[in-house]
Amino acid sequence: MIINTLLSGAIQSGTSVLYGICGETVTERVGVINLGTEGCMIVGALTAYAMNHFTGSVYASALFAMLAAGAMAALHAYLVIGRKANQLATGLTLMFLGLGLTAFLGRNYVSVTIVGCEKIAIRFLCEIPIIGDALFNQDILTYLSYIMCPALYFFLFKSRLGMKFRATGEDENVVFAYGMNPVMLRYMGVILGGMISGLGGAQLSIAYTHTWIEGMTNGRGVVAAAMVVLIAYNPGKAMLGAYLFGGAQALTSIMQEQGVAVSPFLLMMLPYVVTLVALFFTSRKKNQPMPAELKKVVESASGI
Amino acid sequence: MKKIIKIIAPVVAMIIAFGVFLMTQGVNPIEIYMNMITSTLTSSYGIGEVILKATPFILVAVATSISAKAGLVNVGGEGQLMIGALFATWAAVFWLGDLPGIIGIPLMVLAGMLGGMVWSGIAALLRVKANMNETITTVIMNYIAVNVVSIAVYGPLKDPEAFSWPMSPKVAEALELPTIWGKVNIGVIIAILIAVGTWAVVRYTEIGFKLRVIGGNAKAAESAGFAVKKIQLFAMLISGAIAGLAGMIEIAGVEGRLRTTTGENYGYLGFLAAWMAWNNPMAAIITSLIIGFLSVSGSVLEFSSGLPSSATQILMAVVLIAILWRGKEKKTL
Repeated sequence: MIINTLLSGAIQSGTSVLYGICGETVTERVGVINLGTEGCMIVGALTAYAMNHFTGSVYASALFAMLAAGAMAALHAYLVIGRKANQLATGLTLMFLGLGLTAFLGRNYVSVTIVGCEKIAIRFLCEIPIIGDALFNQDILTYLSYIMCPALYFFLFKSRLGMKFRATGEDENVVFAYGMNPVMLRYMGVILGGMISGLGGAQLSIAYTHTWIEGMTNGRGVVAAAMVVLIAYNPGKAMLGAYLFGGAQALTSIMQEQGVAVSPFLLMMLPYVVTLVALFFTSRKKNQPMPAELKKVVESASGI
Repeated sequence: MKKIIKIIAPVVAMIIAFGVFLMTQGVNPIEIYMNMITSTLTSSYGIGEVILKATPFILVAVATSISAKAGLVNVGGEGQLMIGALFATWAAVFWLGDLPGIIGIPLMVLAGMLGGMVWSGIAALLRVKANMNETITTVIMNYIAVNVVSIAVYGPLKDPEAFSWPMSPKVAEALELPTIWGKVNIGVIIAILIAVGTWAVVRYTEIGFKLRVIGGNAKAAESAGFAVKKIQLFAMLISGAIAGLAGMIEIAGVEGRLRTTTGENYGYLGFLAAWMAWNNPMAAIITSLIIGFLSVSGSVLEFSSGLPSSATQILMAVVLIAILWRGKEKKTL
C-alpha cells in the first residue's frame, strides 16, 4: 500500500521534472544550456491553467503551454545564438522574466477553478499487483511522458535529424562542412526543448496540483537542468532523475501524513539535497559525455 | 563619461519598454513614474528608505562580482545572505545578548560572514572537487537555505513570546547598528567601503590580477601555473562572506529579528545589480541604488495603480534583456 502511494506520488510529482529534463536534454544536445527552463515551465503552467479554465480542453491547454514556453525558449535562442550573450546569465534572466510575468498575469487565476486533467485507469494494466495502479492509473500527460522518453531517445540517436542535432552539439564546424546550417539546427533544438519543458509546466498545474500558485515550479526547472548531467544527456534514462526527485517529494508528503516528528521544512528540502548528492556522485566520474560545444560554453569565462 | 552612458542607456530603454507595458495595462505611465519619483526622492524619509534598501544589494552585487571575476557565476547570494542572517541572529540571541555593542556587533559581523562562507563554501567545494556547475548548485542551495531558515524560526530560534508567529526574538538593543542619518545606519558606509576596497584589490593587487586572468581564460591561467582551483575556492568564500555580511546588516540594522522572509529576493536583486554594472564593484553602487529606488517605488505602483509588486520584477528582467541584447560587444568596464 505504502509502496503504491510512494510510487504513484513519485510519478505525479516527478513527471513535470521529467519533461523538464527531456527538454533540457534536447537543448543541451545542440550545444546550448538553458537555465530558463524554470521560466519555460512556469509560463507553460500558467498558460495551460488559463486555457483549461477557458476551454476545458486538456489538448488545447497542452498545445498553448508548448507554444508559450517555446516562445520563451525562442527568446533565449535569439539572445545566445543571434546576439551571442552569455548563456547562463540569459537563462537566469528568462527565469526571472517567467516568474515575474506569470506572477503578474496569473494574479487573477489564483482563485479560479478548472476541470483539469483527470486520471484514466488503463484496463488490465492497472491491475498488475503492486505497481499497476501507480503506473497505469494516471493522467494523459503522464502517459504521454512514458512514450516521450523512448521516442526522444530514438529521435536523438536513431534518426537523421537527431544525428544532426547531436553533431551540432559536438562540433558545429563539421555540421557546416557537410552543408548544413548549425545555427538553424540550434534554434530548432532550443525551441523544441522549451516546448517540451512547457508540457512539464502544464502537467504540474492542470494534472498534478489542479491549482495555480505564483512560483509553483519551485526550482523544478533548475533541478531538471541539474539532472541532465545525472542521466548522461540520454533521454532514455530521464525517468531515473525525475522519479528520484519526485520520490523524495512523495516520501516527504507520506512522512508528513504519518505524523513523523521531524520539521516539515527538513523534509521539504530533501528533494533538493537528494538532487545535489546524486549529482555529486555522477559528476565525480571521469569521461563525462557532455557535448563538446556545450563544454566550451560552460568552461568559457563568465561575465556578459 | 562613456562608461556612465553604457550603464544608463539600457536603463532608459527599459523605462520606455516598461512604460509601454504599463499602457497595455490601462495605466498612464508618465503619471506613475512621477508618482514613483515624488514619493521616494523628494523626502528625506524616502531617500533614507532607498539607501537602506540598496545596502544589501551593494554587498550582494560586490559578492557576485568577485566570483564573476574568477570566472564563476554565483547566483547563491540569496541563500548566502539568508544563512548569514541566520548565523548572526543565532549568535546575537544565544551568546551576545549581554555584551556591549562595541564587542557584540563585530562578533555578530563575524557570525554573519561565517554563515555566508559556509553556504558558498559548499557550492565551491562541489565545483572544485566534483566539477559541478556552480550556477546550478548555488540556485539549488538557495531553495535549501529558505528551508533551513524556516527550521530555525519555527524551531530553536522561535520567539517564545511571539505566539504562533514564526520569527526569532528581537536582537538586544546594544547590538543594533548605530544610525548616521535618520533611519540610515552605518551599514551603507560599510557596503560602500567594501565595494571601493574590492575594486581597488581587483585592479591593483597581484591576487586581483590573478582573479582577472582566471576569469578571462581559466585554461590559459592554468597553463601559466596559477592555482586556479584554489583561487576560485577563495573567491567563492570571500563572496559568501560578503553576502553573509549583508544578511547580518539586515538583521542588526533593519529588521531586528529573523523571519522566513528576511532578505527575500535581495540576493537575486543584488545579482542583477552586479550584471547591470558589468561586475564592476564601483558601478554596482550606482546600479544598486537604482534597484533600491525601483524596489521602494515599486510599492507605490501597488498603491497608486493597483499593479502588483511583481510588475517591478518584470521591469528588472526587461533591463537585463536590454543588457544581454548588446551581446558580447562589451565584456568589462
